[in-house]
Amino acid sequence: MVLGPWHILVELWNLLTPLTLIYVTASTFIGIVIGMLPGLTATMGVALLTGLTFGFPPKDAIIILICVYVGAIYGGSRSAILLNIPGTPANAATCLDGFPMAQRGEAGPAIGLATTSSFLGTVFGLFCLAFFTPLLGKIALQFQSWEFFWLAIFGIVVCGNLTAPTDPLKGWIAGFVGLLVSQVGQEGIAAYPRFSFGFDQMRGGFALIPVLVGVYGIAEVLGVMRETVVPRVMTQIQKILPRWRDLWQYRRTILRSGIIGVIIGAIPGVGEDVAAWVSYDFAKRGSKKPDEFGKGSREGLIAAETGNNACIGGAVIPVLSLAVPGSAPAAVLLGAMWLHGVRPGPLLMIEFPNYIWEVTAMFILASLAMLILGLSLVRTLVKILMVPRPILMPIVLVLCVIGSFAISVRVFDIWVMLAFGLLGYPMRKYNYPAAPLVLGVILGDMADVNFRRALIRTAGDPTPFFTRPISLILVAVTLITILARSAWFRQVLAAGSARLKAAFSRP
Amino acid sequence: MDYGLRRQDFYTGLILCVVSLGIVAECWRMPRDLQGWPAYASPGVVTGLLGLGLFGMGLALTLRSVRRSGAALAITRTDVWAYLADVGTRRLGLMLGISVVYCLLLGRTLPYWLTTGGYLLAVMFVFRAGPWWQILLISAGSTAAVAYVFNRVFAIPLP
Repeated sequence: MVLGPWHILVELWNLLTPLTLIYVTASTFIGIVIGMLPGLTATMGVALLTGLTFGFPPKDAIIILICVYVGAIYGGSRSAILLNIPGTPANAATCLDGFPMAQRGEAGPAIGLATTSSFLGTVFGLFCLAFFTPLLGKIALQFQSWEFFWLAIFGIVVCGNLTAPTDPLKGWIAGFVGLLVSQVGQEGIAAYPRFSFGFDQMRGGFALIPVLVGVYGIAEVLGVMRETVVPRVMTQIQKILPRWRDLWQYRRTILRSGIIGVIIGAIPGVGEDVAAWVSYDFAKRGSKKPDEFGKGSREGLIAAETGNNACIGGAVIPVLSLAVPGSAPAAVLLGAMWLHGVRPGPLLMIEFPNYIWEVTAMFILASLAMLILGLSLVRTLVKILMVPRPILMPIVLVLCVIGSFAISVRVFDIWVMLAFGLLGYPMRKYNYPAAPLVLGVILGDMADVNFRRALIRTAGDPTPFFTRPISLILVAVTLITILARSAWFRQVLAAGSARLKAAFSRP
Repeated sequence: MDYGLRRQDFYTGLILCVVSLGIVAECWRMPRDLQGWPAYASPGVVTGLLGLGLFGMGLALTLRSVRRSGAALAITRTDVWAYLADVGTRRLGLMLGISVVYCLLLGRTLPYWLTTGGYLLAVMFVFRAGPWWQILLISAGSTAAVAYVFNRVFAIPLP
């Protein structure tokens, strides 16, 4: 741990080759473009590039994906500021103050502030990543089958709860559908082909990337092409570099939003959009000028952008230590690591002791590239925003097809992608979040194998599921998360607290 | 206050109930003594439990939509016509139709450049992305660029 910074420097030095720097620059640029185009999300970008970089050496492929991830989460702020349309869901909170700033002629400073806040958020997140992953990894080494089963269920419940805040039932349904999707194909203990219905292609189950590209990519393409209104940039951009006075003035907001972003990122499946909203909300509560929020507040913009980018580092912490993704793009990153032979999880620190430092160094390069490209290519990037959607979207679909096909060179995967696109579109329209479904697909095998393995180890006795300390904590937190959303439970709590108050207030 | 997605939730709930009961039935049919493993470790245990969980949630969604006020649950002919007449629905149908045909044609006898070029041309033309010469140039250029970059530079096989 003490030698952590030294390890990061060594890994950073190893990465500083001309080819890697070209990859970093190009992929961060691609990420920014993907993020800034409404309809293309970070998850879709990372999923798409996972397929397209399948043939690359593992180190190059992972750094490209990290750069796309960081670039896309930041890039969404462009369209949020200039068009009042968040490029990715993570930038929805940025619209509230970014667009009013642009309307009053401060688009340049808004972009500059968003860029530096995103950079600071990413840097804060990656230092937390480097510091906390080994600690969490040590705790994770105590996890056994019982805990892994509950971790999967906990992840689905929390993710469903937070990604569907107005209707958690739909989040949980999406999560369970994802868990069931992962059950298709040969299972992990006796290799029995479940739900294959005699089709050879189905015996292998649904690959993660076609499912992801379908749910995010195809659903996005269909959704965007359905719309008839094309947005236009109506503002001039002048001064871009932010005033350091603004950044120093809001240092507490930056730190608070960074911490919130990392914590929310570390919660399985929740993601950058929730991090941005919570950071924004906390900044408003703690602000000396809360009335300015929603009317072009610099503090609000800084909070949202710091929070969503800090979430990236936080989301990768459980990926590396528990093999449980903290957000939807992190889920794809996890899948990509598996594809390239790295096995994230409790044993990562033993099998690949330097991998955490390597990933941290990759994040440093990605955040630097984001800062430089973000501040220097403002006008070029605005022009890309003007590309008509009927030109862009079919090209995106063509790339989705290649990305899905490239993983296993099976036409079946293209159909899987299309089928999940057809599922993802109505899900989005009727408020079923896609993130729990993706998390379910990732965690389904873990839940299945560990549940059955645990029962085999205890000869069918289920009591350790509820008596082992970590299991018990996970069960309690899962139950509280579910119950906390029921009106009945809230009434019972309110009645209980009223009684307590009355008891204490009696003379 | 009216429950905005009452009808959609009602039918989604019903579909989830039917699908999840099908999953549970299929799990029940799975072998319970596979390769000598005990019944509690059989392949259908977790899947069956997940199916039951989904059934419960589907039922909750259906009952909730029945209890709350909002749009009528029955779908009338007028509703169907109104949906089909919507410009967005037509755009969606067109995009979906062309994309499905494209995906079905991939990996068959037609070469990749022809299917992809044709697909881009069709979408851009149908959605009036610009003048015909621009559409032609963009679709031909994009197809050539995609095929060259991924197939030749990155050595990724194309369908």
